[in-house]
Amino acid sequence: MIKLNKISKVYRTDEIESTALNEVSLEIGKGEFVSIMGPSGCGKSTLLNVLGMLDKPERVGVQSAGGSYKFLDSEVADLNEKGRSDVRKKNIGFIFQNFNLIDELTVFESIELPLLYNKIGLSECKQRVNELIEKIGISHRASHYPQQLSGGQQQRVAVARALITKPPLILADEPTGNLDSSHGNEVMELLCQLNEEGTTIIMVTHSSHDASYSDRIINLLDGQIVSEKKSKMAQAAV
Amino acid sequence: MFKNYIKVALRSLNKNRAYALINILGLALGLAVTILVFLFINDETSYEKHWDGYDRVYRTGIKADMMGQKMNAAVSCSPMATAFRTEFPDVEIATRIQSVNQEIMIRHEQTKVYIQKGAHADSSFFKVFDYEFVHGDPATALKEVNSIVLTVESARKLFGEKNAMGGVVNYDNRRDMIVTGIVKEPVGHAHFRFDMFMSDNQVQNVWLNNSWFTYVKLNKGADYEVFKKEMKANFLKKIEPDVERFLKMTVEEFLAQGNAFEYTLMPVQDIHLYSKSDFEIRQNGNITYIYVFVGIAFLVIVIAGINFMNLSTARSGKRAKEVGVRKVNGASRKMLIFQFLTESIIQSLIALFLAFMLVELFLPGFNNVMETNITLFNDQVGITIMFSLLVTLFYGLFAGSYPAFFLSAFQPIAVLKGDLTKTKGGALLRKTLVVTQFVASTVLIIGMIIIFQQISYLHNKDLGFKGDQVIVVPLQTDEMTENFRTYNDIFLKNSNVLNVSRASFFPGDIPNQSMYKLEGSEEQLPLWNMNVDYDFLKTMDIQLLEGRTFEKEKESDSSAYFILNEAAVNNLNIENAVGRRLGTFIDQSGTLQYGNIIGIVKNFHIEGFNQAIRPMVLQIDNNVWFAAFKIASDDMNETIAYVEEEWNKLEPSHPFRYKFLDEKFGALLRQQENFGTMFLFLTILAIIISAMGLYGLSSYTAEQRTKEIGIRKVLGATVSQIMKMLTKDFVKLVLIANIFAWPITFLLARDWLSNFSYQIDMPVLPFVFATILALVIAIITVSSQAFMAANSDPVDALKYE
Repeated sequence: MIKLNKISKVYRTDEIESTALNEVSLEIGKGEFVSIMGPSGCGKSTLLNVLGMLDKPERVGVQSAGGSYKFLDSEVADLNEKGRSDVRKKNIGFIFQNFNLIDELTVFESIELPLLYNKIGLSECKQRVNELIEKIGISHRASHYPQQLSGGQQQRVAVARALITKPPLILADEPTGNLDSSHGNEVMELLCQLNEEGTTIIMVTHSSHDASYSDRIINLLDGQIVSEKKSKMAQAAV
Repeated sequence: MFKNYIKVALRSLNKNRAYALINILGLALGLAVTILVFLFINDETSYEKHWDGYDRVYRTGIKADMMGQKMNAAVSCSPMATAFRTEFPDVEIATRIQSVNQEIMIRHEQTKVYIQKGAHADSSFFKVFDYEFVHGDPATALKEVNSIVLTVESARKLFGEKNAMGGVVNYDNRRDMIVTGIVKEPVGHAHFRFDMFMSDNQVQNVWLNNSWFTYVKLNKGADYEVFKKEMKANFLKKIEPDVERFLKMTVEEFLAQGNAFEYTLMPVQDIHLYSKSDFEIRQNGNITYIYVFVGIAFLVIVIAGINFMNLSTARSGKRAKEVGVRKVNGASRKMLIFQFLTESIIQSLIALFLAFMLVELFLPGFNNVMETNITLFNDQVGITIMFSLLVTLFYGLFAGSYPAFFLSAFQPIAVLKGDLTKTKGGALLRKTLVVTQFVASTVLIIGMIIIFQQISYLHNKDLGFKGDQVIVVPLQTDEMTENFRTYNDIFLKNSNVLNVSRASFFPGDIPNQSMYKLEGSEEQLPLWNMNVDYDFLKTMDIQLLEGRTFEKEKESDSSAYFILNEAAVNNLNIENAVGRRLGTFIDQSGTLQYGNIIGIVKNFHIEGFNQAIRPMVLQIDNNVWFAAFKIASDDMNETIAYVEEEWNKLEPSHPFRYKFLDEKFGALLRQQENFGTMFLFLTILAIIISAMGLYGLSSYTAEQRTKEIGIRKVLGATVSQIMKMLTKDFVKLVLIANIFAWPITFLLARDWLSNFSYQIDMPVLPFVFATILALVIAIITVSSQAFMAANSDPVDALKYE
């Protein structure tokens, strides 16, 4: 599904150049559940943003030329914002640590939003949203606003919003970071369930507990992949 | 999707009520002003448009420069209309009227009614001005001698419910007339408003006596420029015999001496706003007011628009997250721009709704001040709504465009990570906009003060006479005029009646002009003349500078005596004027009668202050139309009652009517006063809107800097230091605004003041005062916000975000 080859990302200010990603190469297959770990500032989030096409990668590496980012077998490294936005819209759902719900929208409307941007008919929207909130167990909260929900509930809404367009790939940036452990586990289980249904999931996390839910753990340090291993649970499964 | 936008827009407004209030209320006020000004302009430009073929109707006038006396008058001579009708193939019809400048008493059987405005008109009048006839035939109504046409209202007053057609109307106890037509008051405005028309088809064949108004209607397709040229040439020939008779020279010689004389044409639809001629039938409008009001409406809407843009972008930090989320969820930039524009248009539409309510609220006051009769829901309400919708949409798009493009450009990754430093952009633009806003407000404040200084200057100006103890009573009958002098003692029996006199007109009336000649000089001079009676100077408190006043004992009836004002002495360019002899024409053949100049008086005002004091010659003459009584300041009402009682005994035919002289003259100032009042209201409005915007903006600035304030406080900053820091920026902006506002206002004010013949010197104080006022407003508004921010608990501030 994803083929990164020598992709870099350098942030420049007037005086300082900081390399957030240094010629990262990575392959993620369909249906995989991958965790990205590493200390603060190692480039986890940058990697996730590049993967999610929120950020434009650099093809020219720091040391060598010719990086590439193939998403579903097509090159996306050179797309402009509009092109990336189109690919994103169809294929990727995002989950954030701080939920990022819009305060003025109810649970139902929040989840419905991506469908509206994808120009799905109103009756279908309604049906799909209803099915989904049923599934994640917050249908009784459909007309509530974010401020009226607990953190766990907010994150479930955010997950539902990421899922509603049935994207093949979900990117989660520390999805349990703002949650207590029980709410965190609820969310992790929801992600596992999705993964079992065939959705590819890439998750950035600090928590090795959360990482243990995934198939594969990638460790990042100073913008480079330093190690890659199967998680304990995955090993156990084998 | 669209529903979603509207939903979010409304909820977002509801959540940020203070912000929404500032925005919507400010805009509503701005739109209300715009709609009011639109209605006003519509009303002011609607003059004469209801006449059939109004765009082919012109009024003639005279423009002359004779011996340094400039004249621009709307008047013309008696035979001109006939000449138009018979000698110009381009003319469809022409008419001549004479407006009666006094109220007229008419009587039917025992009912007496005073008519405010009457006109003598020839039989073509209703062919040019197509009044709607309820009874009678417009083609013949004014053909016969002693025909009278009444408006429905006048007829009702005089005849009650009876049909007035064919009825006998007695004109001022002088003659009887037959009602030959009843007309409706026209639906639109015109530069005249007559309550009755009396037939007058007699032509006096003198071209130099200009006491009439002539209107000419051209044929369809006639070439105006060609016609104008022909008219000028033709009429210049017509005055030849008169010029030779009176001036003893040919027209060529007259012009060769540096004099100018020409006939002019003015489209009838331009009269109300553009005419600056003397002898207008009534006071016209003024195009300057229209320009000024349009300017103010524009400024107010700009100020409100800047509030909107500023607050939206200042709030961008708050909206940034939403933008990020929407983008991550598939929104394209186009969609977001569309969303934000929708939001601003929704706000504008709410404001429009409010604006209409405000207009309804303001209109009675506006009509009262501007002496108009404007309604919102008139027959043009469709156009008004279309116009205001267009303005609103344009406004929504214009004011919303910057926030829309600004917000939609946020990079989702930056804002979602809470990195709001990148959303602080636009600060320079915001500052520029605040400066613009303060330029506008300061211009209005300075302008307002200058206008009021000028008006109060005019109010307190030495008029040259004292009018607060003088009542003026029209002399309505020939007997009264003839015998009045013998009645003086009757009134003077009451010791509170201090002086009695008479004159052909008084300050506030339209003066007359005549030709004079200084003995020994060949030059003829058009001077303004006033017929007066003994004691005129005393009654009016006019100061004698030189010579003596009129004294019955020293004068014989067979010779003339003149008193000149200072302007006349200057105009005649003579030293030792007292004792010189002045000649005046006493008949149509050019016979001169000479008399002594016996005194010189200080200049006194007759006309409004847009007119310099005219060179005036006073003489004793029985051709007078008003009596004046100077009464003691004690027991005025009783004294007036005494005068009334005695007057009614002497003249029972006309009910006693009087006016205080200062009120009569004060009416000339009213238009300027009204303008000043309206300007004051609009300025206050503009300042309120500005302050509202500044309040909102400073609160957001304080909010944005919460964290900074917290850190500074932890590091030991005091409340006052923080307040100073927050206020300083805005104070700087206000000062910069003043740098722009001063020269702009200086130029505008100079232009406005040049409308007056008597004007204040450009004052400095308003400029300083406006700057201080703007600063005070800014500091009060901003510091209240700064105070709250500075007093907040630093821990809360640091936890923020």
